Amino acid sequence: MNIPNVNFPNVNHLIHAYRVAPWRVQRQWIGNALLAVVVFAMVAALYLNVTSRTAIAGREIQDLTDAIASSQQVSSDMQTQLASLTSASAMEKRAREMGFRPVQPEELEYLVVPGYVAPEAVDLSSTIQPQLNALTIPPEYNQSLLDWMDERLVSRSIQ
Amino acid sequence: MRQQYARRSRVLAGALALFALAIVVQMTRIQNSPEADVFRQESENYAYEWRTFYPNRGEIYDRNGRLLAGEKIVYEIGVDLTVMTDAHAISYAVADALNLDYNQLMEVIQNPPEGISYIVLADYVDASEALYLQDLKKALNDQAPEGSVGGLTGLQFKSHPQRSYPENALGSNILGFVNREGKGYFGVEEKYDSLLAGNPVTVLVPTDPNKAFEIPHAPDGTTLILSINRDLQAAAEDILDTALGTYGARDGVIAVMDPQSGELLAIAVSRRMDLNQFWNYGAVYDSATEFNPVISKTYEPGSVIKILTMAAALDSNTVTPETTYLDTGSVLIGGVTIENWDKNPWGIQNMVGCLQHSLNVCMVHLSTQMGATTFYNYFDAFGFGHLTGVDLAWEAPGRLKVPGDEDWYPVDLGTNAFGQGVAVTPIQMMAAASSVANHGRMVIPHVLYAMVRDGRQYQVPEQFGATPISTQTADTLNNMLAVSLEDESSLALVPGYRVAGKTGTAQIPVNGIYDSEQTNTSFIGWGPVDDPQFMIYVWLERPTESPWGSETAAPVFSEMAQRTAVLLNIPPDWVRQKLVSK
Repeated sequence: MNIPNVNFPNVNHLIHAYRVAPWRVQRQWIGNALLAVVVFAMVAALYLNVTSRTAIAGREIQDLTDAIASSQQVSSDMQTQLASLTSASAMEKRAREMGFRPVQPEELEYLVVPGYVAPEAVDLSSTIQPQLNALTIPPEYNQSLLDWMDERLVSRSIQ
Repeated sequence: MRQQYARRSRVLAGALALFALAIVVQMTRIQNSPEADVFRQESENYAYEWRTFYPNRGEIYDRNGRLLAGEKIVYEIGVDLTVMTDAHAISYAVADALNLDYNQLMEVIQNPPEGISYIVLADYVDASEALYLQDLKKALNDQAPEGSVGGLTGLQFKSHPQRSYPENALGSNILGFVNREGKGYFGVEEKYDSLLAGNPVTVLVPTDPNKAFEIPHAPDGTTLILSINRDLQAAAEDILDTALGTYGARDGVIAVMDPQSGELLAIAVSRRMDLNQFWNYGAVYDSATEFNPVISKTYEPGSVIKILTMAAALDSNTVTPETTYLDTGSVLIGGVTIENWDKNPWGIQNMVGCLQHSLNVCMVHLSTQMGATTFYNYFDAFGFGHLTGVDLAWEAPGRLKVPGDEDWYPVDLGTNAFGQGVAVTPIQMMAAASSVANHGRMVIPHVLYAMVRDGRQYQVPEQFGATPISTQTADTLNNMLAVSLEDESSLALVPGYRVAGKTGTAQIPVNGIYDSEQTNTSFIGWGPVDDPQFMIYVWLERPTESPWGSETAAPVFSEMAQRTAVLLNIPPDWVRQKLVSK
């Protein structure tokens, strides 16, 4: 088998020709452009994804806030219903139906109970910490990327 | 050939680039044009809106934690015209469920105002009625053929809170009511309206549904705890209603107060309204003063005021309990002859007898002995003619004429001493008499016991008024009043408890002349005398069974005092004394 006589200068020429071939330059331009498009699309998709997720999170917070308000309304409603069922007239009616009657003063017997402390009036203090009026959703959940950039630019210009 | 394609391509690329550049230039131009500013401003106007969030109104409790005023859920029922399919079905169902006029509903639905897509058919609908309509709508939807919707499609329900009073008419005169706009009228609801209503929060809200915003927390209105005892209030109203029937009185009141603190425990009046139907106000009352006569209605109190004339006389050292005078049955003052209630002379009497027999002539004797300046200074110090400061809306100041007033005459010095010619409210009488029961110091009557805000309860500090008489005078008079009741075996006496008090029978002035037949009867008393824990005022208007306070108001006081002792767990005197001796 004969080995071809390699002419190195010719090879270099071919490589150079390959590198500067017009179609290759075009492909490079197209590739770079496509890369830019892909990067832009990725950033856009990421932005869209984050924005939509924050919007959904914000909506969920609103829904939960609505649910809390609704639950409080229902709680107040049920408390009022309970008060109606145990109103003075309702309790007296039930007591009479069960055979009770108002006690007469002469029927009362007062006993001395050591250590007994007469009950004071009601105390409606709650152990639940009061809810502050300040907004508590962090800006990450209600601020878009553009809002954030805008805020940064404004704060920088103020500095 | 290839070069030709290349040139064409370059021309095309250039044209496209120019076109793109033109677009960019045009965009930039539009963005910076004067019209753009207008559009930008317009969009900003619509991008956000101010929205007000109203807090829940504070609740009202009695001193034992019984809810007196709360909130219940009611519904607004309306129609979304954009999705409505059957106006007849909706009109019929709503008219039937809510007892409304079908034709009127049809008219409203079929002829909506221009540009309106939602119409309110009814508001403040009870939950049960709204639930019935909701179930009906769902059932019709379920039964609708495949691909179609039920006849009530478009019917919408929006829940919202409404003030509710679980005790209905009980203590209505104390609570007052809230109208549908959320404004309080009368009583506690009006007096503490701003506290109960809380502070609405107004915030800028984005209209873009994709922009999340947090609904601000508007703190609930302040919850109030009243000094009122619900069971005692119910008992007072029950006793008053019975008394009105027994004695044939037109109207009446019973008020119970702790004379040591000024806490009002019960205020019963004869005219009461179901607060859940506040729109019936006009049918129940003729004027605003009738809503709570204890604080709003002035009248000539009659002999109950003799307590204070005697207090002034004792405190100014004009007399002592043992001072005697000769009662001739009549006395001339300012050109007018004043007589005793029975027009008879009672001979020589000391000051206990003077109170015991309720002698007008004795009172004229005392006021003239004191002199107008001293007498009116004391009555002014007792608070007559001034507001007591009770924390209920619509308090009236009454009227005390004094020398120098155009309508004051010398005879007034005599008549004022036994309760004529002076206009007071029951709450003024109680505040003034509290000085006698409370060792000389007057209390400021009040119904607010505590406030609850943000989960914390704040007690209302004790407040006291003037000290018009000395401790010694108060204690002496306290004993004199108790003895006078015991000596005459008054119907006001309370078995097991020593009480002090005084009856009142006042003629009623009609067109400037006292009516000879109709009277206002009253009784003010407190007990136990050594440690007063209740003060009760009874006023019966125009009783027909008897014109005398000793026969009408006094027994009502006794009954109320007995019920009060039971409900407040006040042991009889002998039990307390036994406990103290241990």
